Amino acid sequence: MQLIKYLFQFIAYVLAQALVFNQLEIDYGIQFMIYPLYILLLPYDLNIFLSMLIAFIFGLSIDIISNTFGLHASSALLIAYLRPYFFKMFEIRDGYDPGMELSTKNMEFRWILSVHGLLLLIHHFWFFLIEIFKFNEMWFVFQKTILSMPISLGICLLIQSIFLRKSKQR
Amino acid sequence: MRNLIAFFKRFQVFLMFALLQILALYIYFSFMSFPKTQVLTSTNVIVGNFFRYKNDFTKLLNLSRTNTKLQKENIKLRENSPFSLIKIDRNTIKIDDTLYHQQYEFIPAIVINSTFDKRNNFFTLNAGTLQGIKRGMGVFSDAGVVGVIHHASKHFSIVESVLTENINLDVMIEKSGAFGLLKWEGTHARFGKISGISNDIRVKKWSKVVTRGASGVFPYGIPVGKIYKIGSVEGKPLWDVTILFSEDYRKIQRVYVIKNILQEEQNQIESLIPEDKEEE
Repeated sequence: MQLIKYLFQFIAYVLAQALVFNQLEIDYGIQFMIYPLYILLLPYDLNIFLSMLIAFIFGLSIDIISNTFGLHASSALLIAYLRPYFFKMFEIRDGYDPGMELSTKNMEFRWILSVHGLLLLIHHFWFFLIEIFKFNEMWFVFQKTILSMPISLGICLLIQSIFLRKSKQR
Repeated sequence: MRNLIAFFKRFQVFLMFALLQILALYIYFSFMSFPKTQVLTSTNVIVGNFFRYKNDFTKLLNLSRTNTKLQKENIKLRENSPFSLIKIDRNTIKIDDTLYHQQYEFIPAIVINSTFDKRNNFFTLNAGTLQGIKRGMGVFSDAGVVGVIHHASKHFSIVESVLTENINLDVMIEKSGAFGLLKWEGTHARFGKISGISNDIRVKKWSKVVTRGASGVFPYGIPVGKIYKIGSVEGKPLWDVTILFSEDYRKIQRVYVIKNILQEEQNQIESLIPEDKEEE
């Protein structure tokens, strides 16, 4: 059951990112990226090898649709690798329950803001760094990261509050 | 040996991360210069067909604008056709068929997927090798130059558009004849740069920029844009020329792919140029 849910989410996130959010183009180099949320919401005790493999395939399928040839795969892989360290760093007092989904449903807003915010910041910075790959345009990388990250974080929070509330009532 | 195994055990997570990361970056950087398989691009059958269906719906939204553009292009062609010209010299007879050989053929195509806000923007076309498209062919629309074919599959192809970093098309300023390479800074879809124009040449604002037709990918005279701003490059005797593209790549829909019949002949004769021996 859990597997089908994550498989369905996989497809939904890929299609939403590649066909909707990558097509939304406003100026100043702002890009909306919601797909890191899928990796962040994988069960926290999932084997790290498995989660890295999932992230790689996940990113690559976005790359295939939007002709970025591995850019999304690289940055998705990075947050899948860093995820456990951040979870440990911001561990709550009682520890996490096994198989817990670390979303706004179960966690404090402050925790979400710091963990998701930091990981999204790293993700965006890595993505734009590889995409531009020029040291003399470092300011443009920072500009893109700083402008895009809050918007991505806002959309991620919005998605959680829209789609995860239903299961809470159940 | 035991130490080695212990090392691998200790760092196995990082090693797997590094391995996958190198794979991803390898795919990215090698595909930017030369795509090897079509599976990893949007020219593959599943994604290509998907975008074709999507385009079947969305193309209707732009129908009236597309028709107006086609009509304008038709007027331009009609004005140049023999029907609308007056013959001044009535005595000589011009025989077309031996004086003029056809050099370029054009393959029509529709852009079924495009972006303009990324650092490297690739457009997907709904025509592929079955229509005669090959890697390296030029692409243009009625308003201006679009790009070069990056990879082609059976039914689809992707264009490395003018809005990519290393596009480097041969362009020239029409009146003065000064030529340089077309670049894109990656910031705005309407503005590009020309590099390599020496600052002893006079450059006028709003003069037209067209393709030079040197490498045989584009014929001479396909519009690129107009000169928008001129500045000087610090420390180099060059102009920093910003141009306003004549095509709005944010709305691009119908394009033509150029097939140069004499391309092989040109490549053959250019390969006879002796290479520089200084590098040895």
